[in-house]
Amino acid sequence: MAQVFSEYAECSVKRPDDYPLKELDNVIQADAVVIGGGPNGLITAAYLAKAGAKVVLCEKRYEVGGGLATEEVMFPCFFANTHATYHMMVDYMPPIRDFQMEELGLRWIRPNAQAGLVLKDGRGLLLSHMLEDSCDSILKFSRDDAAAFGRVLPEFHRMVEEFLAPATYWPPVPPVDLAQAMQVTEVGKELAEISEMSPLEVVDRYFDDKHLKALVTYITCMWGLNPNEGGMGFMVPLLLDRGLSKRLCYGGSHKFSGTLSKQVYMNGGLILENAEVTKIIIENGRAVGVQMYDGREVRAKVVASSLDPQTNFLKLVGKEHLDKAMISNVEGWKWDKWSLFTVHLALNEPPKYRTDDAMINEAFLNVLGAETQDDVLDYFDSVLAGNPTNLVGHVSCETLYDPTYVRVPGNKHTAFFQTPAPYDIQGGWEKRQKELTKQALEVWRTYAPNISEENIIMVSSETPLDIEARIANMVRGSFKHGDYNPIQMGYFRPNDICSASRTPIEGMYLCGASMYPGGLIIGGPGYIAANTIAEDMGLKKWWKIPDNIKKYIETYL
Amino acid sequence: MMIQYRGTKMAKLHYDIVIVGGGPNGLAAAAYLAKCGLSVCILEERLEAGGGAENTEPIPGCRIDPHATYLYGAYAPGFDQLELDKFGFRMSHARNFGGVVNYDGTGTAAGLYNIEYTLEQIKKRSPKTAETFRYLYDNLFTPKNLGNFLRSIYWTPPPPVGMPMDKSDYPWSQVLKKLLPGLYDDVWNDFSGFELMDALWDWEPLTAALGLASWYNGPHPMWKGVGIQAFACNLLMLGSNGVPRGGMHSYMHALIRCAMFHGAKLITNCKVEEILVEDGEAKGVRLAETSPLGNRTIWADKAVIANTHIKQTFLDLVPKRHLDQDFVQKIKDINLNGGSLYVMHLVCKELPKYVGEQGEIMKGKNYPIALVGPCDSREYLINQTIDVYSHRTHPLRKESMTFVIGQHDIIDPSRAGGDLFVVSPIYLQMPPPEYHRDGPNAVNKAKDEINHAILGAIREMAPNMTEDNIVHMFVNTPEDSSFRNLGFVGGNWYGTRHDRDQWWEKRPLPELSRYRTPVDKLYLCNQSSYPGGLCLMAVPYNLMHVLIEDGIAKPGEWWYPSPWYIPESEARYSRSKVPA
Repeated sequence: MAQVFSEYAECSVKRPDDYPLKELDNVIQADAVVIGGGPNGLITAAYLAKAGAKVVLCEKRYEVGGGLATEEVMFPCFFANTHATYHMMVDYMPPIRDFQMEELGLRWIRPNAQAGLVLKDGRGLLLSHMLEDSCDSILKFSRDDAAAFGRVLPEFHRMVEEFLAPATYWPPVPPVDLAQAMQVTEVGKELAEISEMSPLEVVDRYFDDKHLKALVTYITCMWGLNPNEGGMGFMVPLLLDRGLSKRLCYGGSHKFSGTLSKQVYMNGGLILENAEVTKIIIENGRAVGVQMYDGREVRAKVVASSLDPQTNFLKLVGKEHLDKAMISNVEGWKWDKWSLFTVHLALNEPPKYRTDDAMINEAFLNVLGAETQDDVLDYFDSVLAGNPTNLVGHVSCETLYDPTYVRVPGNKHTAFFQTPAPYDIQGGWEKRQKELTKQALEVWRTYAPNISEENIIMVSSETPLDIEARIANMVRGSFKHGDYNPIQMGYFRPNDICSASRTPIEGMYLCGASMYPGGLIIGGPGYIAANTIAEDMGLKKWWKIPDNIKKYIETYL
Repeated sequence: MMIQYRGTKMAKLHYDIVIVGGGPNGLAAAAYLAKCGLSVCILEERLEAGGGAENTEPIPGCRIDPHATYLYGAYAPGFDQLELDKFGFRMSHARNFGGVVNYDGTGTAAGLYNIEYTLEQIKKRSPKTAETFRYLYDNLFTPKNLGNFLRSIYWTPPPPVGMPMDKSDYPWSQVLKKLLPGLYDDVWNDFSGFELMDALWDWEPLTAALGLASWYNGPHPMWKGVGIQAFACNLLMLGSNGVPRGGMHSYMHALIRCAMFHGAKLITNCKVEEILVEDGEAKGVRLAETSPLGNRTIWADKAVIANTHIKQTFLDLVPKRHLDQDFVQKIKDINLNGGSLYVMHLVCKELPKYVGEQGEIMKGKNYPIALVGPCDSREYLINQTIDVYSHRTHPLRKESMTFVIGQHDIIDPSRAGGDLFVVSPIYLQMPPPEYHRDGPNAVNKAKDEINHAILGAIREMAPNMTEDNIVHMFVNTPEDSSFRNLGFVGGNWYGTRHDRDQWWEKRPLPELSRYRTPVDKLYLCNQSSYPGGLCLMAVPYNLMHVLIEDGIAKPGEWWYPSPWYIPESEARYSRSKVPA
C-alpha cells in the first residue's frame, strides 16, 4: 500500500517551508545500501559497516528483524515471536562470534528436552540434546531404534560439523564438483549417498519404529520439505541434528535482530525503518542506489538486497535490465510449498500433558496429533492438497524459559500451536481461520487437558495471509522466501548465476534467504554476501574465517 | 600461567554513566552524554527501548500507538544538537493538525502551517476569535517566536532550589512581555487555562477542545497557575504538526542510533532491581534475576541517572535505609492524577464521517489527524473531571463523554493499512488505578461498558461508526499501561500531576527540581521531573545544565544552554531561609 499516497497523505512528505527542525536529506550518499532488515540484511550491513564502509539499510517495516520478530500479538501485555522461534544454527553462525553481542545481553537458552511426541495413550517420546537421554526414551518403544539412534546421530552430527554447517557459510559449489569433493572422506561419501534420496527414504533407512519415525519425519520436514522428493535427503541429518540443538533467544527473537542492528549503529551505519525501497537505480547497466517510496534516494557503490527474487528483479530492477533467461528463471521461482498457521495463546498456567514422561512438560517443542509416521505423511498430503485435515502440529511454551514475554503480574504464560498450512486453502482463510483455530485447540487439549477455557486468557491466530501481510516479501506466506526443492537449493538458489551473491547487474548483490543456502535463521546468505561484497569493494576483512570453515575448504574444495 | 575461560565471558561491568530506563528521556540523556565522550550504559527493562513512544502491530498490517502519538518537541534543541536528521529522523506532516467536532455539527479543522484556511474557518464560527488568533499568529506563533516561547517554558531548567522568583521574572513572562506587549499581563501566571482562553476569545468549542487537549497532555484547564502552560502544550503539538514517519517509535530509533553511534551501550530486557548506594553515593545498579545477565551489578563510575518514575526511584530502587522518613512520605504523596488514559484503537473500513457542516471540512486532504470532541460546551470536560477526580471513578455518563480521536495513520504512507483505516488512539481520562474508588482493576472490569459509552458518543457525532464499520478493536487501560511500561506509575503517561503544587520549581518536589537527589551521583531524568512528559528531550536537555555544572559532562561546541538558565553560582536567595 505504501506506494499509493491516499488523498489524505498527499501533503505528508512535503515539509512546510518554515518548519523548525531538520529532517533526513533527500539524497544520501553511502558506500553500500542494503535492502531489507531481516537477519541476513542486518548481518551483511554489520560486517560491511565494521569494515569501514558507510552503510545504509532500508527496511519497509517499522522495526527491523524480518523473521526475527517479537510482537504484542495478544494486545495488551502478551508478546509472541511472530515468525522464527527456534534458532538452530547458533552454534555455527560466524556473526555471533565475530561481534561482541553478549555485551548487549544477547543470550540463548538451549533446553535439553528438545522435541517430544505425545501419544493418545499417554506415552511420551522425547528426543533430547543429550544423546543418551534420547536413547532412554526411544528404548521404551524399540530397542533396535534406540541403538540405531545412538549410532546414527553422531554420524549426522559429523556430517553437520564437517560439511553441512561450514558449507552454510561458504559460497556454493557446482553440483559436479560437489559430488566429486564429497568422495574425499567417509562422512562425505555417506552424505553424498543420502543426498540422492528423499527425506522419507533417509528416515526409513535408519529407523523402524512408527512413533520415532513420526517424530523424526515431522521435525525434519515441517519447514517445507516434501518427504518424497529425491535429492533432498541431506536435509535430514542437518535438520535432525540441528533440530535437537535449537535455541530460544532470551528476550524474544527480536532481541537477536535488535542486537544485530546495534552492531550496525555502533559502526556508523544508518538503518532506516519505514523506508520501503521501490526501485533499484540502474545507470549504464550498473546498480548505483535505491529509491524509496517517498522519493528519497540512497546513492551507493553497492546495492545488496535480501528480498525475494521476483521483487528484486521484476519489481526493483525491472525486466528492461535483464536478459530473457534471467527473466524466465525468476518468473519460474517457486514459493514455499506450504506456509504456517499459528495459534498464539496467553495462559494462566503452562500446558500440562497427560503423559508418562514428565520431562515432556518442559520440552522446547512437542509434536501433537500424530501417532505414526503415516499420520504425519497424510497430514502433509492434506496440506499440499489445500485442505489440512487431522491437524498435526508442534507446540511450544516460551515462558517456561523466559518470563519476558508477559507484561502482567502473576506468572502468566504464552504458548503457541503451529502447523504447516497452505496459502491457498479450500474455502479461503477468511472462512477457515476460526475453524482451524478451534481444531488446533482441540488437538492440544486432547494431550494437555488444561488447555481449557478457564486457562486461556487470550487467543490470536495468524494465517499464511497474515505472514504475507506482516512481511511483504514472504510472498504467499513463504517464510523461506521460496521452496526448498533440488532445483532451488544449493548452487541453484535462486539460480546458478546469483547463488553466490553476485548478480548479472554490476554492483548489485543478493544477501537474503532466497540465495544459497536458504532461510530459517541460519545467517548464511548474509555472511556469504558480506564476504563477497567486501572482496569486490576492496574492503579489509576484519574478521577471520572460522576454523571449521577453513577445514572444510581444505578438505573438500 | 592463567588459563582463559572459554565460555561466554561476563559483559563489561563498569561505565561512567548507568542510565536506568531506556524511555525517551533516558535515550536522549544517553545520546547527550555519549556525545560528550562518556561511556554510557542504558538498561531497559522492556524488549525494546523507547518507553511510551512505541508502535505495535497486534494484527498484521495495522499499526497502533499504545501511548505516545504526536510529535510535540519540534522545537527541542536536541534535534539540532544531536543531529537526529543524520540518524534518519523524518516526519509525516499534516495539513490540518487539529480538529474540533461537535454534536451540533459546528466543528472545524486547524493547522498552524495552513493558517489562512484555519483563520477562514474560525472566522465563520466567531470573528472575534479569528481576530485574536490572527494577532497571536503574527506575534507568537511564527516559528522563531514560538520557538523562543516554548523553549522558555520547556527547555529551561527551573531555578536553583529555594531561589524565589517573581512572576515577571519567569522566563516565559519575559518572552511574552516582548512578544505580546499590551496583551500579556503577569496576572496570566495566576490564571487557569480556561481563564486565559476566556480572556482571549469567545468561541466555546475552541476553548473546550484546547482545554481537553491540555488536560490530556498535562495541565488541566481548571487548574490555576498553569494556564500559560496549558496554552503552551497545545502549541507544542500544533507547532510540531504531525507524527514521526512510521510512528513515534521511529523517533526513538533515531535517538538509539545517535546514542550508540557515540558509543553508548543499550541492553534491553534488562531490568534493574536496585540502585546501589554506599556512603550516600550512588555506585551502580544491581540487575533483576530475570535479566539476561542475571543478578549482576553494573558499576557507574560517575553517575547513575534514573529514567524511572520518581516513585519507582525512591520507593522501589533506592533502598529505604538510605532515605529519610519525611522524604519518603513526600514521595508517597506525589499526586498521580492527570495522564491515566484509557486508550481505544479501532480498525475501520471507513473514517468517521461527522454530522453537519463539519463533515464537509473533515474530508480528503483537510481531514485533521487529531480531533477533540464533542466540544459543544466545556461542561462535558468538567463533568468528566468530577467523575475522574472527585468521584474517583471512570466516566460513563453521556454528559462526561469527550475525548481525543487520533487518526494520523492517514497521513503516513509508510503505515500499511490496506483498505482499512486505523483510528487510534482514542483517549479518555481515567483515575489512576490506585485511586479508583472500586479498586485498581475496576476499569479493566468495566471495559465493555466504557467502550459502549465511548462508541455511543462517537456514533452520535459520526453515525457511520457502526459495528459493521469497525473491523477490530483494541483497548489498553491505565492499569494495562502500568504493566506494559513500568514507568507509567498509576498508568500516568506524563509522570505526575502538572498542577501548581507539582510544577516548575516544585516538580516533582521542591528539593528535587534541579534533578539532583539526596543520593550523591544519582540524578533524575524522567518525565516526573520538570517539564513533564511528551517526549520533548527537555528533561535530559535541562539535566545537562546540571551535569555540566557538576563537572560530569563536558560537551563540545555543539552544546548551547538555555538563555534563561540560572547557574547555582548566580542563585539569589532573598529570604534568610536557604534550603539545607
